[in-house]
Amino acid sequence: MSRTLGALVLALGILVGAMELKTLLATHTNSVVIMANGVAPVPKWPPPSN
Amino acid sequence: MPSGIALAIWILGTAAGVCFVVCSLIRGSFLRYFFLNLYVILYMCADLIREAVLRFYALDSPQYMYAYYYTDCLLTIALFVAVISLASHVFAELNLTRYVRLVAVFLLLGTAGFTYAVVAQSTDLLATRFALELSQNLYFVGLVLTYLLWGAVLKLHETRTRLVQMILSLGLYFSAYAGSYALVNVAPKYETVHYIGPILGCFLPISWALTIMRHSEEARLTPARLVAVPR
Repeated sequence: MSRTLGALVLALGILVGAMELKTLLATHTNSVVIMANGVAPVPKWPPPSN
Repeated sequence: MPSGIALAIWILGTAAGVCFVVCSLIRGSFLRYFFLNLYVILYMCADLIREAVLRFYALDSPQYMYAYYYTDCLLTIALFVAVISLASHVFAELNLTRYVRLVAVFLLLGTAGFTYAVVAQSTDLLATRFALELSQNLYFVGLVLTYLLWGAVLKLHETRTRLVQMILSLGLYFSAYAGSYALVNVAPKYETVHYIGPILGCFLPISWALTIMRHSEEARLTPARLVAVPR
């Protein structure tokens, strides 16, 4: 039980860390596409919808 | 992008992918590194689909954009599963495989839930925006996970050469993408900067193929070669 709880806390910690990193990067840049798997040319990021 | 350069990059990436899968099969490591192989196979299929769409539609067309970002989301999920499978290998000796899988499920559900909560306000194209955001969020989760895995490899004095090199490759891959992103933002006008993304796409299949070809499953690294420990 405690290990399961530990796994949940670890997952939450990783998620919070990752999202903070993303927010930090997003506020300092003007482009959105970061990851692009594969070797095909990357198209433009679509405009945000309302 | 000039078609000649794009074609050369595509051939290089596909050849490396085929080489990795074939070497895995020949050396009997296909099932051992199944999720890595699955990622590379999906990566090649996605590139085939993208190339096929690009033949009929322009780079800026919505058709190519949807094909690209939906396959990208699928590939990011596959890469996330590949990172988790490497973590399972690292923690297998500590009998923590079950908890690694539990963390993976929590992370995937948490990321999907978080993404939905962010995207839910959008009134149109919810599915498209969700796929894009999920891909981006999973990239950051994968990045953090890979660095944690690097730390675990050093802490646990992991010596399996293949495993160490595959994890190091993943770390370099994620770091290089972050670097290329910074470069694109610093110098967006230069055409050459936009080649970096597709070139980096070849990195994982090439490095994994070299690892599989050069090292056997029994090969071991001495921990001192992984990090310089001050004495």
